[in-house]
Amino acid sequence: MPTRISDRLGIGIAYGAGGILMAAVAVLMLWLVVQGVGTISWDFLTGEPAAGSLEQGVSGGILPAIVGTLIVVAFGMLVAIPMGLGVAIFLTEYRQPAWLAKGTDTAIDLIFGVPSVVFALFGLAIFSQGWLAWLSNPVGGTGMATAQSFFCSSLMMALIGLPPVVRSSQAAILGVPNQQREAAYALGKGRLTTIRRIVVPGARPGVATGIMLGIGRIAGDTAIVWILLGGAVLQAPPDGWYLPWNLLDFLRSEGSTLTTYIYFSSPAGEGNSPGPAYGAALVLMVVILIVNIALIRSSRRKIGKR
Amino acid sequence: MDPLDDQQRLDDRAKRQEWRHALDPSADLRPAGDPTDPTASAAPAPTASTPAPGALAAAELAPFGEAAAVPAVQAPAPAAAPTRIERTTPLSHPPHVADPSDLVLAARGLRVAFSGNEILHGIDLDAPRGGVLALVGPSGCGKTTLLRSINRLTELAPTAAIGGQILLDGQDVYAGGTDLNLLRRRVGMVFQQPNPFPMTIFDNVAFAIREQAKRRPSRGELMPQVADVLQRAGLWDEVKDNLDRNALSLSGGQQQRLCIARTLAANPEVILMDEPCSALDPRSTARIEELIVQLAGSLSVVIVTHNLAQAKRIADYAAYLLNGDLIEQGLAKKVFEDPDNQSTRDFVAGMFG
Repeated sequence: MPTRISDRLGIGIAYGAGGILMAAVAVLMLWLVVQGVGTISWDFLTGEPAAGSLEQGVSGGILPAIVGTLIVVAFGMLVAIPMGLGVAIFLTEYRQPAWLAKGTDTAIDLIFGVPSVVFALFGLAIFSQGWLAWLSNPVGGTGMATAQSFFCSSLMMALIGLPPVVRSSQAAILGVPNQQREAAYALGKGRLTTIRRIVVPGARPGVATGIMLGIGRIAGDTAIVWILLGGAVLQAPPDGWYLPWNLLDFLRSEGSTLTTYIYFSSPAGEGNSPGPAYGAALVLMVVILIVNIALIRSSRRKIGKR
Repeated sequence: MDPLDDQQRLDDRAKRQEWRHALDPSADLRPAGDPTDPTASAAPAPTASTPAPGALAAAELAPFGEAAAVPAVQAPAPAAAPTRIERTTPLSHPPHVADPSDLVLAARGLRVAFSGNEILHGIDLDAPRGGVLALVGPSGCGKTTLLRSINRLTELAPTAAIGGQILLDGQDVYAGGTDLNLLRRRVGMVFQQPNPFPMTIFDNVAFAIREQAKRRPSRGELMPQVADVLQRAGLWDEVKDNLDRNALSLSGGQQQRLCIARTLAANPEVILMDEPCSALDPRSTARIEELIVQLAGSLSVVIVTHNLAQAKRIADYAAYLLNGDLIEQGLAKKVFEDPDNQSTRDFVAGMFG
């Protein structure tokens, strides 16, 4: 223990900050578990929202919401990961022309800072154009589209999932020692080979972190779901939506995710069913936790035997 | 010295004798000013004949050297004693004296600047084919920049400006249309810090071979080549049962030999080495030095070192740089023992650097 007062004070503050954070998270998780675990049952996880869901305690199952979250996350990240990695490589390995790099940098900062409801509004303006009706469904007689579908929301989700992927990958790529790049160049490898075989594999843990953050952002977003996926929270998806020939129609239709389900069934929304809200929140947390653990596992580089 | 077996080696040795050290390990191979050398007082200190600039420093060093030698701390004998390392395989290329005009590498008026700050002021360097050329000089004199300009790594720094020529087999590597990747396979490089890739030992070597081929060769197809270069780098016996282990789990010296193996896999004519032993312990250093000397029998090695003793142990040729100028170059024996230039003389006498 250092003897100087200021040192002790500093250490005390640091300990305190860490401790408070840990306690807050622990209380939150505990609260969620305590409140939500009673609601969770096989029926809750695999059922569909009930018709009488406005009544307290009977808002039915959350399967469509779980599926909705997974779809939005999957499609959003499907766009965000390759694009984010590409941008990160451009910003670190190339940075030419300078004006483009600078512009991209600023753009990423902007996207990172802007609330998702702004993107949702923007998406509504774009995707409601008649010529984009194939992404959602046309509104009869108006020449416009509903702009509310899994496609539309996923595309905007990609935008909010992108910045963490870029920033985290960027940091990881910068962390790949220059010596390794030089070693590859000195062996007569081109830039692309070096990036593909040395830089990106070396940056894998950082990229995985970025993907995790991106998934968290998308899974946690409500505004885009609300505006671009429709207020279809209590609506069950069409029968047999998962059949391949129905899938396209399903993806062009409105839907729900766990976040909107939580909002809807909470006392703040229309359901006044705190039980199911907590249950859904718990499920959301567990889903994200599982995805994160899987990602960390897979990003860990195992080299050789032993 | 061991008797040499066959006539060819005798011939070869006879030629080399002209420019090699007289092989007396005690007298001439350690920097004369080295304060830890117990024989320092007996050695014919070159400083005695060079009065003006170094005299004071020599006067200060000599008593210190004797004082340090008195308490017999020196007992386990310096592992790094610069005993000349002899090549057991003869040079496959004619040595310098046979054809001094046969240059594998040459710099002509090479100038390099970073952000407008000129580091090299027009270097004319001759690197004869075969053997070891040591670039020596004090820190910051531009040795490494010169080395990195040969395989065009210098230009990876966006602020670098390069003028003049580097001739590889008479062809300017800075001429337009040069295939950079081919150049860097012909001129391999080993770095100061061992830098194997975070892959298996096998993959580290295979990486150098793969991707040049149109079709990705299988492990079985690569194995003979991988084994061959690991053998040439003297690493095979240590790793042959562990080829699938992470290369980063090797010791520093093993890692550096792996890097040499990896470089050999690209089948280079010249290997550039940037202080390859400075991050290694004496034992590993000795192994690498031995390896360098043997490798230089079949290809050319250009090595940057600020370890003068090392240069004396392994170099056939030497070039002395100071503040971005090439002061003196030629046979190592000449440069280290009887340099023409006063500044070189001070440097090899351990006066500065």
